[in-house]
Amino acid sequence: MAVAISREVRDGETVAVGTLAPVPAAGVLLAHLSHAPRARVFIFNHEDYWPFRQGSKEFYDYAQRGNFDLFFLSGGQIDRHGNLNLITIGDHDHPTLRFPGGAGSAMLYYMARRVIIFRMDHAPRIFVERVGTIASPGSSPPDVVRPGGPWKAITPLCVFRFDAATRTLVVESVHPGITADALQRRTGFPLDLPAPLPVTPPPTAAELSLLRGRVRESLAKAYPRFAEAVLAGR
Amino acid sequence: MPVPGHVGSDYERLRPDFRVIPDPYAAGKRVMVVPAIRPDVALVHAHLADTAGTLLLEEREDDALLAQASRVVIASAERIVPTDLIRRAPTGITLEGLHVTAVVEVPRGAHPTAVRGLYDIDERHLRAYMAAARDDATFKTYLDRYVFGPRAHDEYLDAVSRP
Repeated sequence: MAVAISREVRDGETVAVGTLAPVPAAGVLLAHLSHAPRARVFIFNHEDYWPFRQGSKEFYDYAQRGNFDLFFLSGGQIDRHGNLNLITIGDHDHPTLRFPGGAGSAMLYYMARRVIIFRMDHAPRIFVERVGTIASPGSSPPDVVRPGGPWKAITPLCVFRFDAATRTLVVESVHPGITADALQRRTGFPLDLPAPLPVTPPPTAAELSLLRGRVRESLAKAYPRFAEAVLAGR
Repeated sequence: MPVPGHVGSDYERLRPDFRVIPDPYAAGKRVMVVPAIRPDVALVHAHLADTAGTLLLEEREDDALLAQASRVVIASAERIVPTDLIRRAPTGITLEGLHVTAVVEVPRGAHPTAVRGLYDIDERHLRAYMAAARDDATFKTYLDRYVFGPRAHDEYLDAVSRP
């Protein structure tokens, strides 16, 4: 996933990674240390990559001005239309499940030019036909200023791209070893799979070596336990 | 105040006070506006404070904004210090005492959360809190032990230091 994310980062762009996102942070660091050295990178709570000194307001204001080319969001539920649910499932006043809340996602999803949706688990209860509550809509009416929106969705199983014409997530590639059947079984909406099914190019030796070396060292400044547990290669 | 985005989300349904209006600055466009939040009371925890209520606040948080929005502001601080220590601090956000109603020295006052550079979150305590919050009976035990039981902050710190 980190390698797939890294390949979406373009040199010279302004890229930001928010809170609780160690895998996007690893992917962006990998890109910054390889093909995107001139990218301007922000990683929440990373001493080398978080220059905001006037509260989260400074960050949100910076985002509202449309400065981010690439940002990352997730959701408790994600649907085929790219809608994200970070609020509740069930009756809003008596929910069966309450998520942490949308925070800035309903602004960032509009104002960051390309948003990559990420989820560390891919299951039918997460990737659903229609989310219970829309915190951040995948698409919006034409009479609203929206320079940005969903671009890809990256999971442990596959890469979706957001199709602008149908305004839905469509499978772009499956990761090596994942079958069409397995992907459909673990997705809560019917997939229109291309045949033959493209396979995500696997990580190269150079990418893996960077991930386990300099990316791990840098990532540890924001996510010490994740860097140690996942990238130390023990 | 206007907020970008949000239009088309369920905030429109769940928050009738969030309105979508014609954007006065963009022809043919609509924009969401939301009312300002005016808390009656804000509690903020500062790294440093002086006796006039000048605060040195964490630069990653929005406490200065919160304090300015609120009618009454009660500030706790790790240390009450002479004003010049706050003026010379290399990092942090300074908030003038005119925004602060009362200030009190409470070392480790952010527990079980952190004050960056001074102490980390108390993960063991947070885990115990999460476990206790699962049902009313265990939560009542938690409240009795840590909230209603201790008569002062040092008794609280003593209670949380024991397993």
